[in-house]
Amino acid sequence: MTSAMSPSERRLQKELMSLIKDPPPGVSVDAEQAEQNLLQWTIHMEGATGTLYEGESFQLQFKFSNKYPFDSPEVTFVGSNIPVHPHVYSNGHICLSILTDDWSPALSVQAVCLSIVSMLSSCREKQQPPDNAFYVKTCNKNPKKTKWWYHDDSV
Amino acid sequence: MLRFFISFFSSLFQMMIHILTTKKHIIQNVLSIYIKTTGGNISIDIDPKCDVSHIKKMVAPQIGLQPEELKVIFAGKELGDDIIIEECDLGQQSILHVVKIKPGNVQSKISASSTPNSKTLMPLCESLDDLMFSASSGSRTASISIGNETSTSDSLLDEIEVVANNEKSKPKKVHFYVYCPTCKKLTQGKLRVRCHFCKSGAFTVHSDPQNWSHVLESKQITGTCENDSEFCENILQNKEPTFAEFYFKCSEHISLGENDQAVPLDLIRPNLRQLQCLACFEITETIFSFPCEDDHVTCLDCFEAYCKAKLSDRQFWQHPEYGYTLACPSGCANSFIKEIHHFRLLDDEHYERYHRFATEEFVLQSGGLLCPQPGCGMGILADPECIRITCQNCKYVFCRNCLQGYHIGSCDPPEIQETSGTSGDCGTELNCDNRNGAGDDASRTTIKVITKPCPSCKTPTERDGGCMHMVCTRAGCQFHWCWVCQTEWTRECMGDHWFG
Ligand SMILES: [Zn+2]
Ligand SMILES: [Zn+2]
Ligand SMILES: [Zn+2]
Ligand SMILES: [Zn+2]
Ligand SMILES: [Zn+2]
Ligand SMILES: [Zn+2]
Ligand SMILES: [Zn+2]
Ligand SMILES: [Zn+2]
Repeated sequence: MTSAMSPSERRLQKELMSLIKDPPPGVSVDAEQAEQNLLQWTIHMEGATGTLYEGESFQLQFKFSNKYPFDSPEVTFVGSNIPVHPHVYSNGHICLSILTDDWSPALSVQAVCLSIVSMLSSCREKQQPPDNAFYVKTCNKNPKKTKWWYHDDSV
Repeated sequence: MLRFFISFFSSLFQMMIHILTTKKHIIQNVLSIYIKTTGGNISIDIDPKCDVSHIKKMVAPQIGLQPEELKVIFAGKELGDDIIIEECDLGQQSILHVVKIKPGNVQSKISASSTPNSKTLMPLCESLDDLMFSASSGSRTASISIGNETSTSDSLLDEIEVVANNEKSKPKKVHFYVYCPTCKKLTQGKLRVRCHFCKSGAFTVHSDPQNWSHVLESKQITGTCENDSEFCENILQNKEPTFAEFYFKCSEHISLGENDQAVPLDLIRPNLRQLQCLACFEITETIFSFPCEDDHVTCLDCFEAYCKAKLSDRQFWQHPEYGYTLACPSGCANSFIKEIHHFRLLDDEHYERYHRFATEEFVLQSGGLLCPQPGCGMGILADPECIRITCQNCKYVFCRNCLQGYHIGSCDPPEIQETSGTSGDCGTELNCDNRNGAGDDASRTTIKVITKPCPSCKTPTERDGGCMHMVCTRAGCQFHWCWVCQTEWTRECMGDHWFG
C-alpha cells in the first residue's frame, strides 16, 4: 500500500493522520478534502482566546509540490475572513520566513500552523501591512515568488 | 615440472572425489579461486565446505613446499587451518594469497575453533557479514569491529545487541555499500586490504579498522607485508611501519581482477539504530546518514528526492575540496557530503543533469560563462577581454555582457557596460570569433531574448512571465535583481515596473 506512494505522499499521509488524530488547539484539517487530494489541504484555525482574534475563524490553504518536504508548502489565508495583521496581506499572502527562506524539512504542517497561531496571538494592533494596497495589486499569485522584506518579527 | 603436474592432477582428482561425494548441487558448489604465490598464480576449483588446511595441501606441492610452511592470507588476515572456506564468503574468482612463513615471524592466527561462540573471532570476511558495525551517535564515524582481540569492550556492540534483543532476532548483518563502476549502480561491497607501498594483497593487518576514517584515510592501520622483499620498496628500505591500504570490491559481479574496485559510499549504512527518515518518517533498513552532529538520516528514496529538488533549482554547492555537493537538508553546519559518488544514486537523467550543472558551476567559478541559448548552456572559457562570444556547441554568437545576440555598441540596458565598440579584438582565444561585423545583425534580430544574465553571477536566467523581480536560484548567489534594470532589485523597481 505505502510502497506505491512517492516519498512526499508518504510524508503527507503521515502528517495528515497525525493532524486528524492529534490537532493543535484551535486547528483542524478538512480531512475529506485532503484525502481526496493530498497536495492541497484546507485548515481551519480559530483565533485564540485572550487575543485580538478571539471569536474569529480563518481558513488556511496549503499547497504542496512533489518536492515536499524539501520544498516549502505554499500557504495562504483563503475564504471570506482574512485576518487583519501586519504580516498578512489582504489577498491572504503571509509574510513569514519559515514559509520561504527559513523552511526546513524538519518543519511540518503542524509547525507552520503553530507559527501562524503564535504570529496572530502576539499581535497588539490589528493593522494591515503598510504596503498592502501596492503589494496586492502587483504580486505574483504564488506568495513563494515574492521576495519578502521581512517586517519586524516582534510585531 | 613433472612433479608439479602429478601433484596438480592428484589434488584435482582428490577434489573431484570430494565434490562428487557431497550430495547437493554439485555444480554450484564449486568455487573457482586464484591462489597468488610468489611463483605466480594458480587457479583452483574448491568445495566451499573444505578448510584452509585443505588448500594448503593442494597448493604446497605445486610450489615445492610443505603445507606447514605455508600461510594463507585473505583480506588482511591469516586464515587458520580449520577455517571453512564457506565462512569466508569468498566470491568466484577471488584471490587468496599463499606465502611461505618467514622464520621467527610470530602471527596470531585466526582460528575458528578457539572460541566457537564468539563472533569476533572470524576472518575479515568478504561481505563483512560478521562485522559488527554501527553508526555511532555523535562521533559520526561508524564503528567497525572485526577484532580477533576480544578485549575491546565496545559499547557500540552492546548497543547493537540491545536493538537485536528488542527485535528478538539475530544481530543485523553488516554491509558496506559501494558504487560499482562495472554494475553501474549501488551494490554491496566487500572490504579488502593490501600493502600501502607495493599494493600486494599478501598483507596482514596488526589491528582491525574500528571506524570509517581508518578505512578511508591513508596510513591509519599498520600491518606486515608478506610480499617478497625485492618487490616491496618499503621492506627493501626497511622503513617502518608498514601501512595497510583498504579498498572495496563489488560483491555482485564476479571479480575482474585486482584492479576491479568500487567506490565506498560511506554515508549509506544499515539502519542499526532504527532511525527515522527526516522527510517521510519511515524507518527503513538502509539509510543515508548525513555527516552532521544531529544524526539526521533519510531513506534512500528521500535522499534521491532531496537531490532532485535541489538540482532543479541549482542549489548544490561547489565545495572547494569535495566538488558539487549538498549538505544536510536541515541546514546543519559542516555537513557537506564528501564523496560525490553518492549522487550516483540518481537515475541516469538526473545524474547527467547533476554532471552538467557541476561542470557549469566549475566554468562559472573559473570565470567562464554559459551559453544563454535555452537548451544549450555550453560552458565557455573565453578571454576576459573578448566581448563577442561564439558558442562552439550551438553556434550562437552573443555579447558577453548582456548575453543577448551580439551587437556593436553598448548593450540595450545601458547601465550594464560601456563596451565602447572595441568588442572584436579578442586575440587568439578559441571560443572567440575574430571576424567583426558581418552577420551579427542577423543573429541579433532572429534570436529572441529569453534569458538575461544574473547581474551578480552571470548565470543565464529565464523569465517565466509574472513580475520583473528575479531571484537567482543558484546556490550561493540568491541575488535579487530586476529584469528591466538588470541591477539589484529595489523598492524603486517595485514602484516603477514591478509588473510587465
Ligand atoms: Zn559490480
Ligand atoms: Zn609491500
Ligand atoms: Zn524517506
Ligand atoms: Zn543535520
Ligand atoms: Zn550554445
Ligand atoms: Zn550586450
Ligand atoms: Zn546569480
Ligand atoms: Zn528595475
